[in-house]
Amino acid sequence: MICLDPRVKLYLLLEANLLLFFHVNTVTEVIIVVLFLLPFFLSGKTKSALRFTIIYMLLLIIGMMTDSAGTNTLLNFVAMAAVGIRMILPCLIAGAYAFSTTTPSELFCALRKCHIPEGIIITCAVVIRFFPTVMEDYRQIRDGMAMRNIYIGMFHPLQSLEYVIIPLLMNGSTVARDLSVAALTKGIGLSGRHTSMVQIKMQIYDWIYMIISTIPLIMFKGGFL
Amino acid sequence: MKKMNNANRLDVPDFISIGIYTAIYFVLVTIATFSSGILFAGFAYVLLPALATLISGCVYMLMVAKVPKFGAITIMGIVMGLFFFASGHFILSFGANIVCGVLADIICKIGKYKNKMLILLSYIVFSFGLTGPVLPMWFMKDAYVANLIERGKDAAYIDAMFASINMGTFGICCIAILICAIIGGIFGQRMMKKHFQKAGII
Repeated sequence: MICLDPRVKLYLLLEANLLLFFHVNTVTEVIIVVLFLLPFFLSGKTKSALRFTIIYMLLLIIGMMTDSAGTNTLLNFVAMAAVGIRMILPCLIAGAYAFSTTTPSELFCALRKCHIPEGIIITCAVVIRFFPTVMEDYRQIRDGMAMRNIYIGMFHPLQSLEYVIIPLLMNGSTVARDLSVAALTKGIGLSGRHTSMVQIKMQIYDWIYMIISTIPLIMFKGGFL
Repeated sequence: MKKMNNANRLDVPDFISIGIYTAIYFVLVTIATFSSGILFAGFAYVLLPALATLISGCVYMLMVAKVPKFGAITIMGIVMGLFFFASGHFILSFGANIVCGVLADIICKIGKYKNKMLILLSYIVFSFGLTGPVLPMWFMKDAYVANLIERGKDAAYIDAMFASINMGTFGICCIAILICAIIGGIFGQRMMKKHFQKAGII
């Protein structure tokens, strides 16, 4: 299992965005997608990597088959959809890779090393930690409503909204207070450098991978591809 | 400097509150994305941000009431942008969120985080940050069209196909956001009064 540095993952995400920006041709796109999928496979998330590979290949094949569609409306529509989805797929692959292979502590360590202000890091940490809580709260609120014969539906949109959001926010405010106490006890408010259980360091292969993944883009800009 | 107990400075409990409200906001936006995909299939990209603003007014109002300090809304915008970016959205959404966040913060600051009309106005401005994820629909259209022409598609056909994605629909999108933000914001403020002030949370 080889895992890249979180900063390299963020860089790959940025590169996926640049792909859209530079209007790259299909050859460059395929090379870069392969470069994105390779670490995905190596990180042990074979299943989701395989899923993305299959989707991408299917879209590629559909795009090529429908190239000679002529004026057939339906085929043209399919081709357009295939091209459209394929264009945003590099972003999605890089995003899924970054999300599924990075633990929160690794991410925060990386963000600290990038000199992101502490306030933003704390906020991000809370957001990530709080997602599962929101889902669980929602389930409990729904159960509680069902017990009183109130169902979430389209017939009373405002009522449904009020009955779901207000308890969520009430609970959120309570959790915010509890979490603040817990975090302050652990010394999050102290000034100075914070230590971290996880240590991350740019290895030599991280640098190499960054350079390798940039080469296709440069070659495209230079007109070689 | 750190020791100074400045009431207008964001401290750790504030960041934690912002984080929690941002999480709820993000979940609501995600729900809006999915349900608008189901409700009005092909037309979803126009109404997606509007639907999200309609249901998330309460969250914004509560956050402004709980953390009435300069920078809170900006941080919410930045973190929203970061999560949009990390989940594979186009990087423009990052910029849109930050710009709208800062502007909304300044508007609130003018009203000292008390003036209801200005808070409503700032919610409208902040809502335009949600156009970020759908902006590529309009600004990446050229790349998409170039890709199709490169592969030998008929130009007239492409024009017909993209007739609905132009500045007109962008205008509809903006107007829809404006109306929905006003409704959502007023609904949020009414909820504040009805529930949170009584319970003593704010």
